[in-house]
Amino acid sequence: MATVAVYIEAFSHYAEAMHLPRTLVTHHPMGRPLGPPGSDGRQREVIEAALSLVDSAVAPGTVERMGGVYRPGAAS
Amino acid sequence: MSDAHTESLEEFAQSLSYGKRSDLSFKFLPRLGPDVGDALASVLREVGSVFDTGDPSELIDLAIGLQADGYQSRPLTERYRYDDGPFTRPDRPVADSRVALLTSSGHFAADDDPKPLGVESMTQAEAEERITDFLKEAPTLSEVPIATSGDLLEVRHGGYDTRGSRADHNVSFPIDRMRELATDGVIGTLHETAYSFVGACAQTRLIKQTGPEWVARLKSTGSDVVLLIPV
Repeated sequence: MATVAVYIEAFSHYAEAMHLPRTLVTHHPMGRPLGPPGSDGRQREVIEAALSLVDSAVAPGTVERMGGVYRPGAAS
Repeated sequence: MSDAHTESLEEFAQSLSYGKRSDLSFKFLPRLGPDVGDALASVLREVGSVFDTGDPSELIDLAIGLQADGYQSRPLTERYRYDDGPFTRPDRPVADSRVALLTSSGHFAADDDPKPLGVESMTQAEAEERITDFLKEAPTLSEVPIATSGDLLEVRHGGYDTRGSRADHNVSFPIDRMRELATDGVIGTLHETAYSFVGACAQTRLIKQTGPEWVARLKSTGSDVVLLIPV
């Protein structure tokens, strides 16, 4: 069973220290790791990026930082 | 002479961390130590800019950056350090896989309240007030049918600001987005149950007992992939 975790930047040092198999890091605030409320597009983008790590990562401790910013109300 | 106490900046910062002004988005402020005054001044400066620009983008980025500075300011305990980690290679692409969701966001189906600490219909405010009790308790894993609609979902977690999750559960418990991805073929199939628990719980029990039990349970579902969303 393969796993991938989505962390916010504030807690990414935990994921790195624990050598999780695959981690996607977002620059989002605490409690909203996938994006702003109502931003369906951003939420989906984050999940797709996380799941793509399942297909692409080749070693434990894979950490990818996702681009983009947290913008409530942005067109999604 | 007045005996009124003038609150120090340090006391103010502490009051945001489960104190008299508890604010879970800013409970990290005491971690900034002597930098807390400069941090607050920078926030106020950006608020002033928003008066003129109407654009809160830089204020949002600043606050998110301060959260990261706060939480990364203290070294991790050895409990969280591992020299290496497990790694399971998937047998098939995600597009052909069965995918499950597990979050620590504290979501549950409205008709299946886990009744934390034995309390019926505990409020969010009470969860925050009793955070130290939560940290001594083993977590309960809530099972939520993946087809559940948002109006039948609840969230309660004394460790983070749940306002975003209340406005839209998908910010931390993305069952709507997962269903869409399955419909669009990005995900092969979805495990019919999504799982959530309150991450503010007895950590040693989570690591040594509850967590391994949940792993066994998830493996028995036939899921190939688990998407983990810690908050």
